[in-house]
Amino acid sequence: MNKSMTQSQKLMVFVLSMSLYGLATLFTELIPSLQVGIVEFSIEYFIFIPIALAILFDPLSAALGAATGEIIFSEIMLGQFGGLGELEKFVTITIAIYLAGRLVRDPKNVKNIACIALLAVAIQQLMGATVDILKVQFAIEGFEAVPGLPESVFFTEGFACLNDIFFSGIFFSMIPTAYLVPRLHGKIEPLLGVKPRDRETQLSGVKLSPKVIGICIMAFIVGIAGEFLSEVGIAIIDWEASWAESGISIFMSMLLAGVIITALVIKFKRRQANLEVMYD
Amino acid sequence: MKVVTNQLWDKFSIEFLRNQVLKNAYGNDDTVIAKIDPRTLLIWYVFFGVLPWFMHNPTLLLGLFIFVAVTTRLTKVAPLVLFLFCFGILTQSGYLLIVSWFFGGDLATLGPILIMTLKVAITSLASITVFSGLNPDRLASGLLWFGCPDQFAFSIAFAYRILPILMEEFQNILLSHRLRGKSPNSIGWRGKFRYLIYQVKIIMFSFLPLMLNIAKRSRTTVEALELRGYRYANQNKIIKKMKLRQLGMGTVDVYFAIVSIIWLWGCFLIV
Repeated sequence: MNKSMTQSQKLMVFVLSMSLYGLATLFTELIPSLQVGIVEFSIEYFIFIPIALAILFDPLSAALGAATGEIIFSEIMLGQFGGLGELEKFVTITIAIYLAGRLVRDPKNVKNIACIALLAVAIQQLMGATVDILKVQFAIEGFEAVPGLPESVFFTEGFACLNDIFFSGIFFSMIPTAYLVPRLHGKIEPLLGVKPRDRETQLSGVKLSPKVIGICIMAFIVGIAGEFLSEVGIAIIDWEASWAESGISIFMSMLLAGVIITALVIKFKRRQANLEVMYD
Repeated sequence: MKVVTNQLWDKFSIEFLRNQVLKNAYGNDDTVIAKIDPRTLLIWYVFFGVLPWFMHNPTLLLGLFIFVAVTTRLTKVAPLVLFLFCFGILTQSGYLLIVSWFFGGDLATLGPILIMTLKVAITSLASITVFSGLNPDRLASGLLWFGCPDQFAFSIAFAYRILPILMEEFQNILLSHRLRGKSPNSIGWRGKFRYLIYQVKIIMFSFLPLMLNIAKRSRTTVEALELRGYRYANQNKIIKKMKLRQLGMGTVDVYFAIVSIIWLWGCFLIV
């Protein structure tokens, strides 16, 4: 008997995971954090939602859906899209949730689920912290030379990472996932027209093979590479800056730029005024 | 800190959040930025999102910052979005600065941190311009044109459509939770803390019924999509062409490109 999911069921899981996790990130983005000294009790994410879905349904669809949902709801909708940096988050979240979904064999084993939910947060946070440290190192010229900066970056990142693993990991991943999965198991599946997952369920690719882990590592490297393009870019800028030397050309181009900008601003203003009049 | 937390909590209601997000998405179709072709804006964004990371000159960065600040002003973003932007930038840099002082940093540490903040600010403002300035349908078709996976493009358009329903559903569940339970007394420091925890707990519990409800909805959605041949349409080049027919570059795009290029050029010349 074929127990794997059909394409449209996978799409359902994707849509479900995307909308739920997206909504959750909208909230977590806005819930204020509580800081006691340097220990921050912030609600990093409600990662239990996609982890629960990954355990109950197809892990890859749930993972991709959650990562997409986070980018769309909390980044694009709230205007916080961080460009290529989001690639890293997308990849780390996807990997963590996918691994969590794959590692759980039996959705009824609560202890197993709790451990894996914590592990998923740890994986995600460690990858995230690595990228963050590299990012600051790259953004600041002569990073090592600035007094106190390297230590403080390592300290803040390392501490935040541990903080999140224990705080978010336990309260927003381990406990809620262990609470949700047994309650949803057998109840949510019929709503999507899927058979509940059990030990015999065939996931696409039966075991967590070295190949899967290799792909995860590769994807992580691609995510990092998205953030650090080669240093060629710096060389180009330097070259252009030294090329500009003639005082007159600078003045003329500035003047031209100024004129065009003013003209445009006036035009825009006028158009806006017209529109406002229309609306009044 | 406590006062700030409480004020934030008072402001935060689901109604408010929904209004802000929807206003941000659909409420500014009449701006100049919204008239620009999504493809132009996306190219522009890639440029402004990547370039600052390769620059280390404060004047140059400041020039770029002013430019993206102006474009952001033109999009008429919702106040919530701007608030989140400022809040995020300030807390992140401030925190790093304070900690660096503990490790023997001095005023010289301030410079590099400010430069980094400027870089982050430029990229975020550029993204606010593009992603808040465009209405989601146009954004989705722009992304589709660049060969972005159609599932992602579809998700953007879909997310904005489903958001009001999701919020309503969530609010109903939240309200019924509140009606049944007794909320703790929120007087005093400990009471406030307990109240906050109570709220977060309710939000988390609400996801159990929400998951079931949305599961039903997502099945309906996907079945409706399948009936209309969603997965086959995605692979069909003719249909894709029909979808993208609404895109077109005009004079606004040319102006926008010219202004951006000249401004950048001017910045380079000053430096």
